[in-house]
Amino acid sequence: MSALSPNIATRLAPHALPLAIAAFVVVFSIIEPAFLKPDNLVGIVRQVAMVGIMATCMTFVIMTGGIDLSVGPVLALSGVVAFFVMEAGYPLPIVLAVGLASGVAVGMVSGAMIAFFGLPPIIVTLAMLSIVRGSALLLGGPDLHSIRDQPGYTFIGTGSIAGIPFSIYLFIAVSLLVIFLQKMTPIGICVAAIGENERAAFLSGHRTRTTKMWLYALSSFGAALAGIIQSSQVHTASATYGEFGTELDAIASVVLGGTSLMGGNGSVARTIVGVMFLGIMSNGMNILNVSIDIQLIAKGAIIALALALAERG
Amino acid sequence: MRVQSAFIAVVLFFLAVLAFFCAFAPNFATASNFEDLMAGFSFIAILAIGESFPILLRGIDLSVGAVLALAGMVAFDMTLMFDLPGYLAIPAALIVATLCGALNGVLIVKLRLQPFIATLSTLAAYRGLVYAISGRQLVPELATTPLSDPWIMGLDTYFDIGSATGLSSFIELPWFPLSFFIMIATLVVFGVLLSRTRFGRDIFTVGGNAEAARLAGINVGRTIIIAYAICGFCAGLAALLMIARLSTTTESLGLGMEMSAIAAAVIGGVSLSGGIGGLSGPVIGTFLLGMVLIGLTLLGISQFVQQILTGVILLIAVGHDRFLAIRRQKRLAANLAEEA
Repeated sequence: MSALSPNIATRLAPHALPLAIAAFVVVFSIIEPAFLKPDNLVGIVRQVAMVGIMATCMTFVIMTGGIDLSVGPVLALSGVVAFFVMEAGYPLPIVLAVGLASGVAVGMVSGAMIAFFGLPPIIVTLAMLSIVRGSALLLGGPDLHSIRDQPGYTFIGTGSIAGIPFSIYLFIAVSLLVIFLQKMTPIGICVAAIGENERAAFLSGHRTRTTKMWLYALSSFGAALAGIIQSSQVHTASATYGEFGTELDAIASVVLGGTSLMGGNGSVARTIVGVMFLGIMSNGMNILNVSIDIQLIAKGAIIALALALAERG
Repeated sequence: MRVQSAFIAVVLFFLAVLAFFCAFAPNFATASNFEDLMAGFSFIAILAIGESFPILLRGIDLSVGAVLALAGMVAFDMTLMFDLPGYLAIPAALIVATLCGALNGVLIVKLRLQPFIATLSTLAAYRGLVYAISGRQLVPELATTPLSDPWIMGLDTYFDIGSATGLSSFIELPWFPLSFFIMIATLVVFGVLLSRTRFGRDIFTVGGNAEAARLAGINVGRTIIIAYAICGFCAGLAALLMIARLSTTTESLGLGMEMSAIAAAVIGGVSLSGGIGGLSGPVIGTFLLGMVLIGLTLLGISQFVQQILTGVILLIAVGHDRFLAIRRQKRLAANLAEEA
């Protein structure tokens, strides 16, 4: 080993993910030039918009050393709630507000149990996964509820402005908002402080418990928004949406972006890079007609490899 | 002693729930119902026993559902695609499952991945492998062929203990499924391993404080890898019992089942903060969940409410665990104050 190569490796380590994205884009576009068509590129972002919104909103939770496994059922719940409010004839703003509020409420309940009673996040949100799924099914049953004659609501998932789907604007808006929270407001510092050393943050006067509760509310808010986009995109609301695996995709994006599950380090902007990485991988493999089994194996291997490398760096 | 207070609580809760359903749910206290309970939840109890090992090490194994599917598919392929006898397919499935578990451990130890991430990525990878080797897709006409190997189907045997022992003239006993006895055997073997051997002590030490364990000369890496291998082995065992009961397998076998296993272990008093818990707790936790599901169905309560109640029970269990932990801390602080 020359003395130079570890030096280069150390310098490149923080940029490994963007470099990997660039490498995959080059490979995919050489093998299949259609990959670089604007339509396909917009398609990639549109595909990842929902997972992206959930992942950016969950980043803070993971930065505090927590986790949110309940996003899948929350996604289903907000769609079903919005559907019923719509059926009752309320105008669009109220529909959206109630749908999103249902998500925020779930997040506040799990957040309160985690922050104020000190219960482990993984079990609380696992329990909430079960409770929220049951509640959504109780409310809406296992059937699909079709959403008809709601142009305003349908626009959220299917409409586009200047050729770009509206859901992408939502993804960008949420991302900017959460990045703003992290970079420009005291919340960012408080989140990092809780993740680094919760006791110390508490003793230095941060309102750690209240903050933590609101972070889970934010994570659930993201899931609820994704649920509204989903139900609007497919013109149906169902309590079975957000099936098992949704939460794992969101979590994988966050940790690929370099946020440690142990808390502390983390960046919302890098989460978005992680989201894009997974989106490009799956789109590229679809274009190349890679079968589902190889896709799953590749996804697992890439996540393990990327994080093992990050650990070394 | 600490283990006992959590364990006694879950046993009491179990008995209370049992008494409640026997009193109020129609047809609950019948032999055939207990037969269903034993046949339907023994393999989940085995999964929960396995899952306890990573949790005792302050880790977690999210991949057990995928390992279960993989082991099931290996047995399916070997008996139906290659016409190999079951006495080869059964060990092969168990070995594959054990290796999958060991690989989780290696990823955690050698690549220094967090258990959540390591097993999250193998969850995807193993599930992909199941699709890749699926005999149902490689040879489409097998998709509707049931398993017929006598060795594997033999796992789905029932024993009429009541008539064999003559007790049936006094009381109607359920027929005991073989899977129940295999579960008990697993419990005894791993229970002895955990409480009577040096390896078991190492598990508790590493789970309590890995750094202290390393300084005390315990091979932490080896302990972790073996613990995850045990978890994989249990998933393989559960897979064999499950495919015998279903007499077939699918690519999505065991999807999300890690959640039930983790829930049962936590309800059974295995603490997520590591180093505290036993194996009988998770078994009782599994049957507690099973009893609630079956009991509420008999009471005619919607299965959606059952999901809600499952979550609530999990919250109660973890709240109780937290309560015990706080009490432990207070007692420790009081003892320290006395000594000073």
